[in-house]
Amino acid sequence: MLSSFLSNYRNVASLAFIVLAVVLVEFFEVRAAIYPSLLPFFEWLKYSSWIGYLGITYGSVYATVQAGHLISMAIIGGTVLVTDLRLLGVLLKNIPSETITKGTHQCFKYSLSVSIATGIFCAAGVADKVYYMPVFWIKMLALLAGSGFMFFIKQPLLNSRPHSEIGPWTLRMLAVASIFIWFTVAATGRWIGFS
Amino acid sequence: MLVSGYYSWNWLEATHVLTLMMSIGSLFIIDFRMLGWVLPDVSATAIADRLHKPMIIGFSIMFITGILLVYAKPVENVQSLWFRIKMILLVLAFINAWVFNSRMRAADGTWDSARVAPKPLRTGAIISLCLWCGVVAMGRFIPYDWVDCPKVSNTALLWASGCVEQLNAL
Amino acid sequence: MNDSKWDDRTIAAASSSVIIIGALLYYWAGEVQSTIELLELAYGSLKFFNNPMVF
Repeated sequence: MLSSFLSNYRNVASLAFIVLAVVLVEFFEVRAAIYPSLLPFFEWLKYSSWIGYLGITYGSVYATVQAGHLISMAIIGGTVLVTDLRLLGVLLKNIPSETITKGTHQCFKYSLSVSIATGIFCAAGVADKVYYMPVFWIKMLALLAGSGFMFFIKQPLLNSRPHSEIGPWTLRMLAVASIFIWFTVAATGRWIGFS
Repeated sequence: MLVSGYYSWNWLEATHVLTLMMSIGSLFIIDFRMLGWVLPDVSATAIADRLHKPMIIGFSIMFITGILLVYAKPVENVQSLWFRIKMILLVLAFINAWVFNSRMRAADGTWDSARVAPKPLRTGAIISLCLWCGVVAMGRFIPYDWVDCPKVSNTALLWASGCVEQLNAL
Repeated sequence: MNDSKWDDRTIAAASSSVIIIGALLYYWAGEVQSTIELLELAYGSLKFFNNPMVF
């Protein structure tokens, strides 16, 4: 019974497992227990790693990489807006949403890779500060959730069948969740600079 | 008021930066389409036409917040080398966009469904990408103080940044 | 609502969307509330959330 459920509902079971894991991690205060042990890594990142050294020593390199981070963020925003506003039926209504979803995903993957690479560099330069910022950890959480949602849930579903076979409300919720989470990743990132 | 108010500066700046996703995001998708990097099997002019609206909305918000940001710190911005380069790049980018647009309208529709646009449009797209990357980079440089007036002694740099007091003192 | 429409992937997608939207609404509502409380402290007595720090 359980094994047939697991084989038929692999995605649902994985999702339930992740949600349960998050709840347990919070309930048993695992996060608070792990948190202090992460400090040496962040200190190493800033003071001993070569990316930290490069970022602290050369302000111009740091600012240029930040600009690269912003540009890749803008491209992520562009692909997400085009794909999801099409799913919501706001933009490009005369082009099939299947075509848009497939056509922008490659670009999304590349710009996400660039922004993660430049983001690690930016974080390394101020690693001793971001470690203490709740907003940084919220951004990391949102980034993790957004990537998982994008690659394991949204894309597999949208590529598996014509979009007319998916309920319209499911499509709308997918699009809203996607815009909302990538907006949060960007907005919390901007707030790291202010705190 | 804008600088000293709680959060008002941060809100303005955050809006200015986050609207990048709408303005430059749409613009880069159009440019990428011309180069055949995204959505190569979709009509290029359809993409350009439909993304025009979000792009203009995005750029309007950027323009308004940008003016308010300059208005809040006028001296720092006007005497900043980066701000001056950014303004020049912006003017160039708008000229390029205008040329690009009129070329796209003038070209007949035969290339529309081709994977890549004709060479003049591709060149325009690449110039646009470079100029806007420059604009973002210069915007990012403005808060840094490497070439702030009191720090510079090179006459050419002082002139380029418009450091009147330091120039008069020489 | 037949079986073919509500398969594994669709349920996972719909429920994860609901979880994400709910969690983010909760987060941003909290941010809005704390911002308003800070503005109350800074500028006067709006008393939106019965903040004991505001007189």
